[in-house]
Amino acid sequence: MPLLTRVVGGIVGLLRRTRQEQELDAELQQFLDMAIEDKVRAGMSREAATRAARMELGSAAAVKDGVRDAGWENVLETTWQDVRYAARTLRRSPGFTAVAVVSLALGIGANTAIFSLINTLMLRSLPVSHPEQLVELLSASPGEPRTHFFWWRHYEHFRDRNQSFSDLLAVARGRFQVGGAGLEPETIDGEYVAGNFFTALGVRPALGRLIDARDDQVDSASAASTVVSWSYWTNRLNADPAIVGKVMVVNDVPATVVGVAPRDFFGLQVGMSPSMWMPAAMEPMIQRPSRRMDGTLTVGMLGRLKPGVTIEAALAEMRVLDRYRLEDMAKTRQSAATVRNITIDVEPAAAGFAALRDRFATSLLVLMAVVALLLLIACTNVASMLLARGAARQHEMALRVSLGAGRVRLVRQVLTESLLLSAMGGLIGVALASVGAETLVRIILSGREFLRLQQRIEIQVQPDLQVLLFTATVAVLTAVLFGAAPAWHALTSAPASSLRAHGAAGETRSRRLFGKGLVVAQVALSVVLLSAAGLFVHHLSNLRNQDFGFERTSLLLVTLDPSKSGYPREQLFSLYQNLLGRLEGISGVRSVTLSGVTPISGAGASRFIKVEGFEEAAEARRYVPLNWVGPRYFETFGTPLLAGREFAFADRSGPSVAIVNQAMTRYYFGDRNPIGGRFQLVGPSNSGITGAPPDQVYEIVGVVGDAKYLDLREVPPRTIYLNAFQEPRMLASRFALRTTGRPGAVTGDVRRIVREELKTVPVADMTTMDDLVDASVVAERVIATLSSFFGVLGASLAALGLYGLLAYTVTRRTNEIGIRIALGAAESDIARMVLRGALGLVCAGLVIGVPVALLSRRAASRVVTDLPADSVWPLVLATAAMLAIALVAAYVPARRAARVEPVEALRQ
Amino acid sequence: MSAEQKSSGLVPGTLHMLILKTLALEPMHGYGIGVRLGQISKGVFQVNAGSLFPALRRLERDGLIAGEWQVTENNRRGKYYALTAQGRATLKRETKDWEQQTTAIARILSASLGEL
Repeated sequence: MPLLTRVVGGIVGLLRRTRQEQELDAELQQFLDMAIEDKVRAGMSREAATRAARMELGSAAAVKDGVRDAGWENVLETTWQDVRYAARTLRRSPGFTAVAVVSLALGIGANTAIFSLINTLMLRSLPVSHPEQLVELLSASPGEPRTHFFWWRHYEHFRDRNQSFSDLLAVARGRFQVGGAGLEPETIDGEYVAGNFFTALGVRPALGRLIDARDDQVDSASAASTVVSWSYWTNRLNADPAIVGKVMVVNDVPATVVGVAPRDFFGLQVGMSPSMWMPAAMEPMIQRPSRRMDGTLTVGMLGRLKPGVTIEAALAEMRVLDRYRLEDMAKTRQSAATVRNITIDVEPAAAGFAALRDRFATSLLVLMAVVALLLLIACTNVASMLLARGAARQHEMALRVSLGAGRVRLVRQVLTESLLLSAMGGLIGVALASVGAETLVRIILSGREFLRLQQRIEIQVQPDLQVLLFTATVAVLTAVLFGAAPAWHALTSAPASSLRAHGAAGETRSRRLFGKGLVVAQVALSVVLLSAAGLFVHHLSNLRNQDFGFERTSLLLVTLDPSKSGYPREQLFSLYQNLLGRLEGISGVRSVTLSGVTPISGAGASRFIKVEGFEEAAEARRYVPLNWVGPRYFETFGTPLLAGREFAFADRSGPSVAIVNQAMTRYYFGDRNPIGGRFQLVGPSNSGITGAPPDQVYEIVGVVGDAKYLDLREVPPRTIYLNAFQEPRMLASRFALRTTGRPGAVTGDVRRIVREELKTVPVADMTTMDDLVDASVVAERVIATLSSFFGVLGASLAALGLYGLLAYTVTRRTNEIGIRIALGAAESDIARMVLRGALGLVCAGLVIGVPVALLSRRAASRVVTDLPADSVWPLVLATAAMLAIALVAAYVPARRAARVEPVEALRQ
Repeated sequence: MSAEQKSSGLVPGTLHMLILKTLALEPMHGYGIGVRLGQISKGVFQVNAGSLFPALRRLERDGLIAGEWQVTENNRRGKYYALTAQGRATLKRETKDWEQQTTAIARILSASLGEL
């Protein structure tokens, strides 16, 4: 059959529907008339002939239906009919529709939001050619997060000797001061790249050309070249079409713009969008002091596997080549011991460097599990509502079956309704998700890890095709999941019996059980979700309310930036001393101090030390964290002074002194009194902060309690405090004020006094210790908040489901309840009967939910470190909450049952 | 398909061919086609409206027959169907196929061991 005719005929049919209907009516009428005439001619009376002809023709509607069914176009049309009918049905019960759509929207929206984050941070491939061939090199030392940071000279070693990669590229972060070409001078984030960077990735320029091997071989600043990013080109260079060939000034070196990177290329790390790329060969010319010259420029490495080379093979080769790096590091760190446990790793990097992935994988996976649970609860909830509606609509269904509706058509109708619900939920969900995901990103980026970064981080969560596909799949699956039961019931509905019996008899045992099962499932899922939420909240409060070793409330932290003040360092010390005095004078301030390192800010400095009279093997040596603090530091922070004294300004002219914490005392002095003990700082500093000259001898003058240093999660390390006013090379500019009231109340005074005392020293940052604590638990906060929110939501949905079921049961049993009351049952008996039913359901849910909660708790504690998985409280609270919610949900139906008027009930 | 199976005694799938054949003799309206089929088959096939009209619609859509409103023998308006060129070709092909099949089937049904 020629397909085209069929298709065209179908379309014509659709367009000319009304005319065709009229024609068909006329044709049938003609058929009938002719049949009657024939019969009359054969000798029948006109009435008898009419009746016989009508019977022969059968239902005109059925014939017309058959004709309509003849074409494929009919499928479209009936589907449209189904959709319209479904929309009408849903509009007729706005309460049900609203609840269903909202719960689906929340479920689907939450899943979409989390998935779009996972997609952006972990799944999305780089916009380069064959991203699946890319791998990254990672360095892992025990107890620390793995990094992709290597030195340039290690990169050269790997690049020149490996057999595994068709290309090995390197990229280093850079900060460039740019000007020229009519630009406002500004500092931007950029990258130094090896000459093979763009060619190896297979990135094509949007304009001009990209950096290639030629650019990486120049050795004079006059031939400097640079590539700018698409967003920098459009935002700062006004999308100048003639930009190629123009000269920009980068750190005082003129560099020719040779091209613009394509719009979708954001570099190799989600969130860090460099504005400019420079050849690594230019680093010595524009960066002083250069780190490329001595080979210690920090680079990340990405390799493209040769065809046929597996990751395992590449890893084996890298392990061999890595010996060079380890020996090199052992030499520079003067200790083979610390290097011994460092290993190299090779991992797929289709989505770029793993740093962000590593940081958020756990949180995102936990959240994904939580939102999946929420969606399941929403599904069961909508399913149970649909089922209850199905019972109410049984009459309608039966009527339609007896009027000639096909069963398949009925099922289609019911499924269309489900799909319509989930489609509406999905649409609203996508809208919610885009808002939610952005908010989530903002919250995550408010975390301490990011506040500390110099680099601007931008994570754009655009709902791309993958996310939309995910949402559509989720929506359809959801619809099938909650629509299956009602559809099945439509398929098996027995028209005769349900038409005859009104209500009770039409209710099958299996359907009742199924409805109960759905409520039980909701309770079980809610308990799992609630107990998980409780666990995360517990974890968060453990982290926050633990003993930090200092008082976190009412502590204002003010960081000054004296770098461009023009004051010599020596002068600043006395200025700071004056400033401390003035700040102490503010009313509402109890004490003031300063320090080089703010505890738990994530940054710090540490050195090897040598304690007199303590012999230590080289392997056992650990870096000891340091802080430079002013007088009254421990008083201000609320760290107990256990022995000796605090620092004084007067120490400045005396011998070098130090205060140590208990952990330090225990390790180096045991039971001996550490006061008067002496030690030296040895070896190079492992941070950029240059401390005291080596071999300086310090005398211990005080012992203080242990306090967190780098992070909330750590056990307080052995810590040494030096007197900030005794360290000429170390300037401590972080002021801390202990206030009597809210820290916010004194910020105005602080700014004014700083301005008066030190005109050229701006306040770089002002925050409170409470805010810092919050910022360092962002991931935990997000998980705890969201899982609580979703837990409460899930429990409410379960309550709604329970309420619906009970209310329906009470209505159905009104008759029976009436008889019971007539026979002498008291109101309380009836109420108790309903409550007992509710409790039975909840207990069944708990019996299933509690073991699952226990299992999932164990699973969660495997991915989230330090989770208080042994605590029973979350589970107990979740169970209690569930019972309470169930009682509330059961209250109204129970009361209604108790107030049934027996006479009325019996008359029904 | 289900509609055709309901027509009494009709081999499934043959209704289209029979309609085409009827219309090959002369253009005809719906009722007439039904009556003509009954007459020619000597009452073996009774085609009811529920099967006939969907079949007509399909044939018309596929371009094998064309309908036209005309005045009937009783001075009424009726929709007369006529074969198109394409319909004629289809009928010829289907008739040939049908004859081949029935001959083959008949041969099988009347086969005896001796003929093998």
